[in-house]
Amino acid sequence: MKKFLTLLKIKGKLSLRCIDSIFFGVCMPVGIMILIGLISGQNPTTSDAGTTLIQSSFGALATVGICATAFMSIPLTIADYRDKKILKQFFVTPVSPTMLLWVHSVINMLLSVVSALLIYAVAKTFFSYEMIGSKLTFMGSYLLVMVSMYSLGLLIASLCQTVKTANVVCSIVYFPMLFLSGATIPFEIFPKPLQAVAGFLPLTQGIKLLKSTSLGLETSLLFPLIVLFGSLVIGIILSIRFFRWE
Amino acid sequence: MEISIEVKNLNKHYGNRIVVNNLNLTVKKGEVFGLLGPNGAGKSTTIDCILGLKSFDNGSVRILGMDPTKERKRLFERVGVQLQSSSYQGNIRIGEICEEMAALYRSPANYDDLLAQFKLDQYQKQPVAKLSGGEKQKLSVLLALIPQPEVLFLDELTTGLDTEARRAVWDVLIDLKEKGLTLFLTSHYMDEVEVLCDRICIINRGHALVTDTVPELIKRSPYQRLEDAYLWVMKEEIAV
Repeated sequence: MKKFLTLLKIKGKLSLRCIDSIFFGVCMPVGIMILIGLISGQNPTTSDAGTTLIQSSFGALATVGICATAFMSIPLTIADYRDKKILKQFFVTPVSPTMLLWVHSVINMLLSVVSALLIYAVAKTFFSYEMIGSKLTFMGSYLLVMVSMYSLGLLIASLCQTVKTANVVCSIVYFPMLFLSGATIPFEIFPKPLQAVAGFLPLTQGIKLLKSTSLGLETSLLFPLIVLFGSLVIGIILSIRFFRWE
Repeated sequence: MEISIEVKNLNKHYGNRIVVNNLNLTVKKGEVFGLLGPNGAGKSTTIDCILGLKSFDNGSVRILGMDPTKERKRLFERVGVQLQSSSYQGNIRIGEICEEMAALYRSPANYDDLLAQFKLDQYQKQPVAKLSGGEKQKLSVLLALIPQPEVLFLDELTTGLDTEARRAVWDVLIDLKEKGLTLFLTSHYMDEVEVLCDRICIINRGHALVTDTVPELIKRSPYQRLEDAYLWVMKEEIAV
């Protein structure tokens, strides 16, 4: 356990020095939340809706941190460690390289949770946001979306041979997920055909789930749950199948 | 005599290329053993196979009586390894990488002492990436010493070091040797091999050409220096 905590401390410091994951994972979603609050304030989403834009956006914005860690930080770091033979170096110590991957995942989880909590704090303090649905269900859903997206991130790490390909694949996956899934731009304002296409992104289903739980909606969540559990299982099986230490 | 490293009939191939060809090595406790050979001779692959980093076709490996793949955790508490051209996590500082390595072992060495011995103590707060090539190389040797190893593997230990730094590394290693450390190294510098090694094995294209003590090998050749003797062995091999 001491090993784990020392590694966590050092890797934590390293991540804090890496400004892009903090910017994309924490600063950007908090900034968007402030922007939405300033633009729409307490106005309802549409004239007949009973919820404010902040309320309907919260679930989506909470996933931006997950998105930045799952599709940038995790695959890129693992590809980099493999490329630089850092994982290989860990093979010749009493600690397994798996420990290194765990430490890294925990740091990213912490980063996403901090991002979500900050968004919540900002929304509550400045724009008197209240979650309508149960907080506990929301947290559970959040966790599911997180592990499901992380398993897809691990899959990218396993499939990409070099840091260069990982970089390209991450950009191809990250940006559409960020902009088309409803994480940053509200899904509802997309034209219908685009909504149909974007519905295939696993994160879109994750956001649907979080939106429903945060708004306490009584809609059927069977499809999002199937997609999320499906991504989780497929991601884990395939990433283990194709994983290479070097 | 206690045996620290034992390699029997080691074979490894990539595609149709044989990289390690029926290699047999025995390194006694407290001995400094040098694995020599030209670039691409199979030295690093041999080390990787011995350490369990690469699988091999057949043969057996024992370090301190243990199988490196099956008893990895127990073995690497007692074995230090410097791999060729190591690199480090981005943004990490010298003090942090030392702290991280020290955290992995049950009874690590005091890395402040090691940093002082290697004259790296003034760089504790500096990023590893800012070190010169030679300093990075010294750091990689230092990190391999953190476990307080009984057996130490060094792959090209002083490549890129200046004369003074090379001497500093040698002094540390000679000192540890006197305390009973077993050392397995590869090097392209014959002066270094002459200073450090008790016994050497020269390999080419994966098989051992000769295994002998340094003085015996020189005696067998028509020359007085190890470098000439080494070149003579290589030439003989080509003639065969």
